[in-house]
Amino acid sequence: MSENNQSPVERIKKASDGLRGTIEESLQNEITGAISDDDQAVVKFHGMYQQDDRDRRDERAAKKLDRLYSYMIRLRLPGGFLTPEQWVATHDIAGEKSTGVIKITTRQTLQLHGIIKSDIRPTIQAFSAAKLDSIATCGDINRNVACTSHPKESPIHEQVFEYADKISTMLMPKTRAYYEIWLGEEKIVDKKDEEDPLYEDRYLPRKFKIGIAIPPNNDVDVLTNDLGLIAIIENDKLIGFNIAVGGGLSTTHGNPDTYARLATVIGFVDTEEKTLKAVYEVLTVQRDFGNRSDRKLARLKYTVDKMGVEGFRAELESRIGFRMEDPRPYKFTARKDRFGWEKNHEGLWYFTVMVENGRVLDDEKTSLKTALLEVAKTGKSHFRFTSNQNLILSEVKEEDKAEVHAILEKFGVIKAMDESTKVRQNAMACVALPTCPLALAEGQRYLPKLISLIEPIITKYKLDAEDIIIRMTGCPNGCGRPYAAEIGFVGTAPGRYNLHIGGDNEGTRLNKIFKESLDETSILNELDGLFASFKKEKKKGETFGDFSMRKNWV
Amino acid sequence: MLAGPKLQTLLQLVKLASKEELIWINGYISGLISQDDASNATVSADAGSGKAIAGKLTIAYGTETGNSKKLAVEFAGKAKKAGINAKLVSLDQYRLNDLPKEEYFLAVISTQGEGEPPAAAKRFYDHVHQNGFKLEKMKFGVLALGDTSYPLYCKAGEDVDTQLQRLGGERIIDLQRCDVDYEEDAENWFTNFLARLNSQGGGSQSAAVTVAPAKKATGKKVYAGTVLSNINLNDRGSSKETYHIEIGADGVEYKPGDSIGILPYNHLPITEAILSLTGIDREKSLEHRTGNHSVVNLLHKKLNIAYLPERVVKQYAGIVKQDIPETKIGLLDLLKIYPVQDSQQFEEVISILEPITPRLYSISSSPEAHSGEVHITVAKDFFTINEELKYGLCSEHLAMLPVDSEIEFYVHKNNEFRLPAEDKDVIMIGPGTGIAPFRSFLAERDSIGAGGRNWLFFGEQHFASDFLYQTELQNWVETGVLTKLNVAFSRDQKQKIYVQNKMQANGAEFYSWLEGGAYIYICGKKEPMSFDVENTIINIIKESGGKTEEQAKQYLSNMKEQGRYLRDVY
Ligand code: SRM
Ligand SMILES: Cc1cc2nc3c(=O)[nH]c(=O)nc-3n(C[C@H](O)[C@H](O)[C@H](O)COP(=O)(O)OP(=O)(O)OC[C@H]3O[C@@H](n4cnc5c(N)ncnc54)[C@H](O)[C@@H]3O)c2cc1C
Ligand SMILES: Cc1cc2nc3c(=O)[nH]c(=O)nc-3n(C[C@H](O)[C@H](O)[C@H](O)COP(=O)(O)O)c2cc1C
Ligand code: SF4
Repeated sequence: MSENNQSPVERIKKASDGLRGTIEESLQNEITGAISDDDQAVVKFHGMYQQDDRDRRDERAAKKLDRLYSYMIRLRLPGGFLTPEQWVATHDIAGEKSTGVIKITTRQTLQLHGIIKSDIRPTIQAFSAAKLDSIATCGDINRNVACTSHPKESPIHEQVFEYADKISTMLMPKTRAYYEIWLGEEKIVDKKDEEDPLYEDRYLPRKFKIGIAIPPNNDVDVLTNDLGLIAIIENDKLIGFNIAVGGGLSTTHGNPDTYARLATVIGFVDTEEKTLKAVYEVLTVQRDFGNRSDRKLARLKYTVDKMGVEGFRAELESRIGFRMEDPRPYKFTARKDRFGWEKNHEGLWYFTVMVENGRVLDDEKTSLKTALLEVAKTGKSHFRFTSNQNLILSEVKEEDKAEVHAILEKFGVIKAMDESTKVRQNAMACVALPTCPLALAEGQRYLPKLISLIEPIITKYKLDAEDIIIRMTGCPNGCGRPYAAEIGFVGTAPGRYNLHIGGDNEGTRLNKIFKESLDETSILNELDGLFASFKKEKKKGETFGDFSMRKNWV
Repeated sequence: MLAGPKLQTLLQLVKLASKEELIWINGYISGLISQDDASNATVSADAGSGKAIAGKLTIAYGTETGNSKKLAVEFAGKAKKAGINAKLVSLDQYRLNDLPKEEYFLAVISTQGEGEPPAAAKRFYDHVHQNGFKLEKMKFGVLALGDTSYPLYCKAGEDVDTQLQRLGGERIIDLQRCDVDYEEDAENWFTNFLARLNSQGGGSQSAAVTVAPAKKATGKKVYAGTVLSNINLNDRGSSKETYHIEIGADGVEYKPGDSIGILPYNHLPITEAILSLTGIDREKSLEHRTGNHSVVNLLHKKLNIAYLPERVVKQYAGIVKQDIPETKIGLLDLLKIYPVQDSQQFEEVISILEPITPRLYSISSSPEAHSGEVHITVAKDFFTINEELKYGLCSEHLAMLPVDSEIEFYVHKNNEFRLPAEDKDVIMIGPGTGIAPFRSFLAERDSIGAGGRNWLFFGEQHFASDFLYQTELQNWVETGVLTKLNVAFSRDQKQKIYVQNKMQANGAEFYSWLEGGAYIYICGKKEPMSFDVENTIINIIKESGGKTEEQAKQYLSNMKEQGRYLRDVY
């Protein structure tokens, strides 16, 4: 591929001097809250995005004020785990430096929003003091590695979970830029020390996501990842992983070349060494074969389809130096969080807290944020995050359970969960407005309200016991994985959404577009009609997604 | 060519004369030769007295906005023409030790603030209020510039006039007070002064020179403008409100550096409350030094009732014959606590009330860039009385002005705050509303394509909410009009950061601009900002220029003299 038609980001990466760019100068520029355009691309690799409060743009422009720029920082938490001390630290940092809301993402990590430029460094330093970093949680590089979250899923959960950290560490960039710029580490003298055989100076053509699932629960939506690892367990022993490549959800309105795709399972590997080798080389194939001129077509899914699944497998095997075995059978039967108390095989307790759209904050009804802080302060619970934007208070000892429960009770968390409906518990929405620059419509700010309008319809048709999965995003990028939902809302314009239906409950079949650009009234009308026939005609045990397909609605 | 007694006289004169006198004679004679016939007569008639005071007339001026200086320069020119070698000096450069040696001394001085001398005359003003020296030789005259809209009209000039006499000086011409249309009165006064010199030949009988009384009507040109837009520049969450007000006014004439003056009206409910409390006939026409007006008009639009100064309170106490502590207070409160006997007594009170003072606002537009418009940048003034939040009279009124409303204003010229030649470098220090004239400067320099470099220091409390004119300034940085822009936001971090800290941090470069001939402009709060900034400049000169404190001060003083250190502070 000629260098000329490479996308501008390719030039920026190469010229960035190991992801340093001109960040230093940008930070020093005191007349704007922004950083230079090029640096905006570079800081992503350090786990942050420049954003601005889109609600305030017009008003500020009239006041001759620049946009209200701030930064979102996303932590690297392979598998989504924090100690109670780290939660307290995060709580404090959120209060001091950001909007105060701690956002649990759809990839099991945490985001803080609204950090102003001069606070980035102190924020990262405070995280660092708590042994947390945000390296490579954004950018054209391997992102936060997701892993089935609930230790109750399997006695060998811990063993699988450790892969998330191993893979994350293996795929970190070699540059010391993050430490130099944000943590004041002395500048590296010999650039050879940071030579990067994996990413070289061009990194990947696009973001890269890895997820690890422990069947039968597909809570991580493993097939929506560029690279999915499905743990194969026999007699409570991990015997290896099925390797799935080419998942990815994003589409672009009006660009027929883009599509959502579930990963294709291409083989099985047994040992840890082989697994890590395969993972590593999937990245090098994508590095060398991925599209570097059109970022819309640069994800691994397009590379796989361009090479053909067989072609991809052949290239991969030539790089890993062994043939993968044929995929082992596995079955997903669910894709959800186990709310409330659960005990694992060791007798430790786990409480999954429902966090609506992953937003940890105190509101009039529930003091969730305070409750979690109180729990963390006892030091008697770890914190895990789920790919459904929920939180698990984990590894609570039998004797501490009552204390933790009392705190949740005291601050209204139990009550809120008891009162919430299944459809709300299963739902999720992306961030969207006001921070996401790509949002076309509302996401997490609107879904709770819409659900309140959908709930009466569900009750009307007595469908309250159904586990219907609704997901919403503010644009077709699909951050809330709406394409893998039974009912997906994909924003097209303010107040308007495409309605997708027909995905299955386990995340192994994508949905399809049913109606375009509906407003709220039409959404409710359509759903009323669909639920009416679902109630009337559903077979026993049939899910809404399967029913939609059987009816050939899409 | 010369014969007999003439030659004798000349030689004798030459023999007795000092070198300086010879030089003067030389100049005098060549001046004589160049005179035309018409003036020849006067000059030769004057020659005797001119010779008598040769080299001994000092014309000293104390100015804030350049009017006094302009007159003093004119006078010096005329004196020269009249054969008098007048020494022209700004009062801040004046050597106080020279005062007892002065023979003929004219002071042209304006009044600022609340009856205060201009900053540049402060030292002199304080000095003449002291004792311990005598002005035995001095024959003096004072020309006082002021504005009848202010309660303490020409106060500084009056004080200087009184003090010079107290110190033993001889007043050879009565104090002349001048309103804003000072030209004619000033010219007459100086002509009278010259005549007095001649008729006296240095003597001291007081001739009957009539001094014109201060005229009633002010000569201000009042414009009727229309508000085109009015926006609060501060974002939500700010503790400040700063309004950018664009006023359309056809034919308005001003230069960057000028301000506009606005006379606010009193709050009508307060006026009404006073009327009903005192029971005075609202329509009764009263004679007042501001003119003849109905009572309601006086109380609503003409007189300061909002916050009476101590001196007025004192007079009030005299009228109502009560013991009232010396404090500032609003008229309504005063009337409630210490009521007047009847409406008759209240009329007496009205007669001691002072006019509402005009409020000045630096113009933030440029005639080149915003033709037919005047922009101002108004901080809504707030304060608390008994924990109740109150707003300043004029700024609150302006803050609430809706689009399309009418607004009357006059242009207050400031000739001491002008842009230099196009190719000169300019350093502007303007935190808060001090940014206003610099927006004008930058728009002007941008429009005319001035080649000199521009460096602005701006400061406020918070970056996110208080960066006044942020996008405009960013554009000027991008287009290169602003060579450098440094900002200081005091409350965005634990330790306070102000403009002077940013100047200090850029000290070496700051000094190199000064060495390259840059002009410094300061606008905004007099206290403490302008003093802190000045100290920082001296410090920078000291450190970066490797100078002693004394040398640094001298350096700045030289800049002042060259007109390269200019301030408009309030
Ligand atoms: C926080 C999160 C949504 C949430 O509410 O939880 C999120 C938020 C954003 N995503 Fe995402 N994405 C998030 C999971 C996803 C997922 C779901 C997943 O990975 O399981 C997807 C679809 C799967 C996929 O990648 O195909 C997803 C596909 C995208 C895309 C489209 C990528 C593409 O292939 O075209 C973009 C836009 C882009 O990269 O150009 C994007 C971009 C963004 C940005 C950073 C917008 C931007 O580029 O400026 C959003 C920040 C909004 C904000 O203010 O916080 N995000 N994003 C999720 C963070 C995950 C994490 O911790 O790393
Ligand atoms: C050369 C010059 C240029 C200027 N340029 C600008 C400019 O560009 N922008 C700008 O915003 N301002 C500027 N000013 C200041 C401006 O002229 C006014 O002084 C300012 O707006 C306050 O006027 P006001 O009528 O709103 O407040 P006022 O009513 O005059 O009140 C002023 C203060 O008096 C006290 N006070 C008043 N009433 C009471 C009361 N009843 N009880 C107790 N205390 C009281 C309070 O301390 C109050 O803060 C400039 C001033 C000068 C001299
Ligand atoms: C802030 C300010 C305060 C003033 N206060 C008074 C005053 O108290 N009494 C007065 O007679 N004139 C006052 N004036 C009017 C000036 O004395 C008048 O404009 C004069 O022409 C200025 O002369 P200058 O340019 O030499 O300083 C004030 C002017 C300003 C700008
Ligand atoms: S789906 Fe679109 S709107 Fe929502 S967070 Fe992702 S990029 Fe933003």
